[in-house]
Parts: sequence; structure tokens; C-alpha cells
Amino acid sequence: MVLDVTAKTTDGKEFYRNQVIYMPTPQQMGRGDKMGRGPYEKSGMIHDSSLPPLRTTQEKFEIPVYVESTKDGKTVRTIIANDFVVDVEISYLPYGKKEDPGNNQKWVSISKKLSIEKGGK
Amino acid sequence: MKLLKKSFVLLGLTVVPLLLSGTRIQAEEIKKAKTIAELVAMYDSSSCHECHPEAHEQWQKSLHARSIFGPENTGRTAATFKTTIENGLKEWPYSGVKKNEDIGVRHLRLCSKCHLPQLEEAEDSVAQEIVKNVYAFVDEGDEKAKKTLQSLNIDCLICHGRNAIVHKWTDGTPQKDAVYGTTDGKHDDPDRPLIKQSKIMKESILCGQCHGMGPNFELENPTQCATLYAGHLLTYIPEGGGETCQNCHMEKSGLGHNMQSYRSKEMTNMALDVEVEAKAYQWRDGTIMTPAATVIVDIKNKAGHPIPDG
Ligand code: HEC
Ligand code: HEC
Ligand code: HEC
Ligand code: HEC
Ligand code: HEC
Repeated sequence: MVLDVTAKTTDGKEFYRNQVIYMPTPQQMGRGDKMGRGPYEKSGMIHDSSLPPLRTTQEKFEIPVYVESTKDGKTVRTIIANDFVVDVEISYLPYGKKEDPGNNQKWVSISKKLSIEKGGK
Repeated sequence: MKLLKKSFVLLGLTVVPLLLSGTRIQAEEIKKAKTIAELVAMYDSSSCHECHPEAHEQWQKSLHARSIFGPENTGRTAATFKTTIENGLKEWPYSGVKKNEDIGVRHLRLCSKCHLPQLEEAEDSVAQEIVKNVYAFVDEGDEKAKKTLQSLNIDCLICHGRNAIVHKWTDGTPQKDAVYGTTDGKHDDPDRPLIKQSKIMKESILCGQCHGMGPNFELENPTQCATLYAGHLLTYIPEGGGETCQNCHMEKSGLGHNMQSYRSKEMTNMALDVEVEAKAYQWRDGTIMTPAATVIVDIKNKAGHPIPDG
């Protein structure tokens, strides 16, 4: 399972991307710190980030909507866009890469439009 | 008598009934299959398919119908059998396998324990034939090999026969003249004139026997594939979960014998509750304004086990 969070300007320019992976990591031959390649050499678990049943797993993302630079020796933060879209996607990826055909199954796709007020001080 | 005789002589395979003080004992000595065709015949479910077309059509779409082949479009299970031979059996110094001809049932048991439990009733020649077909399919995309591999599967007579009883000392060994369902009764099938109650047909353990507890310690070289039943027992039950595998996968999903998971809308719709809270704001550090957004995602897993399974 993969949770992808991206932020884009209204004209489609991506300025933020983050990903969380949920999966158990079986141990190679029940020893050491390596994940096993296939079922024939898996025994045990070295890590498990799968989603437990009947529980709510919460993830928080802080998205910077600025680029930082220095002007006259001072830090300046320039806003990227006042209006932007945050996309949250949850996909099931049994193996391989997301781009492989017929592999990635998108389960959830939620978009939120956000804006930052102009003006003021 | 005619019916009785027929159930003892199953498609040319000799089944020797033991008669002791008038009671038929269930310990029948079964001659092992020598070819894939013989093994398929031992668990031939084509007659079931004729009288139970709905169960058959549903089952046909499930991975149980191609349990040593895998998904129709990828054949990933067959491919992983080959990897097991190449990167496992042939690399391990004490497996006794240097070349494909050395492979027997005890080697394939690493996988067949769950993917093809009836391989226990086959001789090494069947293991040999499976290996040949795996290579023919994986290396050459041989269509005939693909068909042959798909003819070996988890069909009606596995769940409603061979594997319908887990506790053999308590409940006996499955009878050859019966199908196992949820009640006792008569069955229209002349080959299997009885319906016997399987005490576990509606219980999670029926599925759990193949869906994995962790490393398979009884094997000479333990493997680990599915661990979902362990997950069900140790994470879902402690949270107060009360559904069985059958309740969710067969009943609530409406899929019946087409037991599915992430590839089907019916299941994925039941899987998660997702809520997203997002907010944009500006905070300041003196004169520096910082535009930012915060996104909180809550994901609740509503399945009867962790997602995904290992
Ligand atoms: C000649 C037709 C026929 C054939 C062949 C047949 N069945 Fe049936 N089966 C029936 C009918 C009719 C019923 C419903 C009987 C009843 O509920 O009284 C039934 C009921 C069942 C049940 C339900 C028992 C329950 O829990 O209520 C199962 C399981 C079953 N059959 C499995 C099989 C399997 C496995 C095979 C193949 C070995 C098979 N059947 C072959 C006609 C057939
Ligand atoms: C404890 C029983 C068990 C054993 C032993 C086992 N498997 Fe599995 N395997 C399963 C089950 C059940 C599934 C499907 C459910 C799941 O993915 O959780 C599965 C899934 C798979 C898949 C994924 C198929 C897909 O959907 O794409 C592959 C590949 C596979 N097994 C190969 C193997 C191989 C090769 C071996 C032997 C080295 C093996 N398994 C041993 C029970 C087992
Ligand atoms: C993976 C195991 C499994 C396989 C394979 C399987 N069944 Fe079943 N079947 C079940 C279970 C479990 C139930 C009981 C569901 C319940 O009542 O909760 C059931 C119920 C039934 C019933 C009675 C209820 C109904 O759906 O009408 C019939 C008839 C039946 N199966 C026939 C078949 C036939 C025919 C096949 C082969 C095409 C088959 N089954 C293959 C597990 C299986
Ligand atoms: C005899 C062993 C066996 C039994 C009993 C069994 N399964 Fe399976 N099941 C398997 C195997 C093996 C696979 C994976 C086949 C493959 O793709 O290689 C599988 C696949 C599945 C899948 C699909 C997983 C996926 O990756 O999409 C589901 C869902 C499933 N089984 C549910 C059940 C349920 C529910 C029951 C009980 C009613 C059950 N099974 C009983 C062996 C079994
Ligand atoms: C409360 C409902 C529920 C119960 C109980 C339940 N499942 Fe599931 N199961 C689901 C849902 C929803 C999915 C789809 C999510 C997924 O694919 O992970 C699923 C997915 C699966 C998968 C695919 C796992 C994977 O890696 O994604 C298998 C195999 C499976 N279930 C088998 C079983 C077995 C065997 C049992 C009993 C021990 C069981 N399930 C109990 C709802 C349930």
C-alpha cells in the first residue's frame, strides 16, 4: 500500500511530494537484517508497516508553499501560489513499479483545493 | 451396492476399504497418482461444475482456480515456482537438488502445502511433470503447459472434500462418497450420494489452514508466503473483530465462490475508510511570512486482517 501526497499549482506544476509505504518486510531465512526475495527464503519479519485492522492510522504532512532565498543578506520566503491543489492517493502495489501496466491499483483519490490569502501584513 | 462399489473404485484408482467388525474405517489406502492427469482425475470436479454452475462460474474467476499458476495475465505463481528452484533449491547445498531431475514432492511441498495440497497423494513423477510444465510456460510461454498448470488447482473437492476436515482424530477422515457442506443430508450426485456436515465450513479455520501462520516449521526448510491467518488471529480478533473470512469474502461482498481481494471493486470498497483534512495558513517569524499547508490523512482498515499481507 502506498499513500502519495502531492501539491500542485492550479496550472499543474508540482511543488511538493511525499510518500508513505505500508507493508510487512519478511526476514531472509529467519536471520539478519535483509528482506527475503521470495516465499522460499522468507521466515520471520524484520519490520512491519502494514495497516492494522480496525485501527485508524494517521499521517500528517506539513507542506511548505514557498521558496526560500536571500536578498540583501536577509531570508525571504516567496509564495509559490496562492491557489493550489493537494492530491491524496492510496494505491495497492503488489510488486514492481507503479508504471508497470496492470500492476498498480488506485483505491482512493481525494483532491483538496486550498488558498492562501493575498494582501494584509 | 452399485453406488458403494463406484465410490471405492474411483476412476481406475484402487481404494482399499478396511472392514473391521462390520464398521468401515475411514483409513483408506489410496494409490498415489503417477501423472498430472491421474492427480487431476483424483480430484476431478467437472461433475460438480455441471450441477452447480453458479459456484463454478464464480470459482473459475478466483485465484483458487489457478493456484499454482497465479493471475491469468501474469502467471506469477508459476514464475515464482521457477525462482524457487533456481535461486532456492539449486543454490542450497543440502537440498539434494542439483538439476531439475532431482526434484520430488518433498521439494515442491515448500509451496504445494497450500498451493496444491493434494500433491501429497502423488508420486515424484508428478513433481517432475509439474517442473517441466513450469519451465515450458515461464521460458517459452507454452500454451499447453499453461493449460496443464491450470488443471491443477483448489477445486470443489478440496474445500468440500479433502480439506473440509482439519481435526482428523476428532472428526475423522473425509469420506469419498460424500461432499462436505453445512448440513447432513442426501446428495443428488450418484458418485457422492451423501452430504456430510463439515464442522468448519463456516469457520475461518477452513481458509486459515492455507492462508498462513508465519514460517511453515514442519517443512525441512521452512518457507513463508501468506501470513494472513496469523494476522487475523493476532490483530483482528484482539481488536474485537467478529466476522469470519466467509462472511466478508463470500457473503458481504456478494462474490460467493469468487473469493477476491485488491483486484476487485467489491473488496476494495470494503477495505478502507479514508478522511482527509487540509488547511492552508501563514505563520510568521518576525517579518518573514511563511505560507504553508497541513494535511492530515486518517486511514481505517476495515478488513479482517492487516493490509497488505506479506
Ligand atoms: C447431479 C447433480 C449434482 C452433482 C453432480 C453434484 N451436486 Fe452438489 N448438490 C446438488 C443438489 C441438487 C444440491 C442441493 C441438495 C440439498 O440442499 O438438499 C447439492 C448440494 C451441494 C452442497 C451443499 C451442501 C450444503 O451445505 O447445504 C455442496 C457443498 C455440494 N452440493 C457440493 C458438490 C460437489 C463438491 C460436487 C462434485 C463432487 C457436487 N456437489 C456434485 C446436485 C449435485
Ligand atoms: C502457508 C501456505 C503457503 C505456502 C507454504 C506458500 N504459499 Fe504462496 N500463497 C499462499 C496464499 C494463501 C496466497 C494468496 C493470498 C495472499 O497473497 O495473501 C499466496 C500467494 C502467492 C503468490 C502471489 C500470487 C499473486 O497473486 O500474484 C505467489 C507468487 C506465491 N504465493 C508463491 C509461492 C511459492 C513459490 C511458494 C513456495 C516457495 C509458496 N507460495 C508457499 C499460501 C502459501
Ligand atoms: C476455497 C474453498 C472452496 C472452494 C474451492 C469451493 N467451495 Fe463451495 N463453499 C465453500 C464454503 C466456505 C462454503 C460455505 C459458505 C457459507 O455458508 O458461509 C461453500 C458453500 C457451497 C455450497 C452451498 C451454498 C451455495 O453457495 O449454494 C455449494 C453448493 C458449493 N459450495 C459448491 C461448490 C462447488 C460446486 C465448488 C467448485 C466449483 C466449490 N463449492 C468450491 C468453500 C469452497
Ligand atoms: C487449500 C488451500 C486454500 C484454502 C482452503 C483456501 N485458500 Fe484462498 N488461496 C489459496 C492459495 C494458494 C491462493 C493463491 C493462489 C495464487 O495466486 O497463487 C489463494 C488465494 C485467495 C485469495 C486471493 C488473494 C489475492 O491475492 O487476490 C482470497 C481472497 C482467498 N484465497 C480467500 C480464501 C477464503 C475466504 C477461503 C476460505 C473460504 C480460502 N481462501 C481457502 C489457498 C487456499
Ligand atoms: C471484516 C471483513 C474481512 C474479514 C473477516 C476477512 N477479510 Fe480478507 N479482505 C477483506 C477486504 C476488504 C480485503 C481487500 C483488501 C486487501 O486486498 O488487502 C481483503 C483481502 C484479503 C486478501 C488479500 C490480502 C492482500 O495482501 O491484500 C486475502 C488473501 C484475504 N483477504 C483472505 C482472508 C482470509 C483467509 C480471511 C479469514 C482468516 C479473511 N480474509 C478475513 C475483508 C475481510
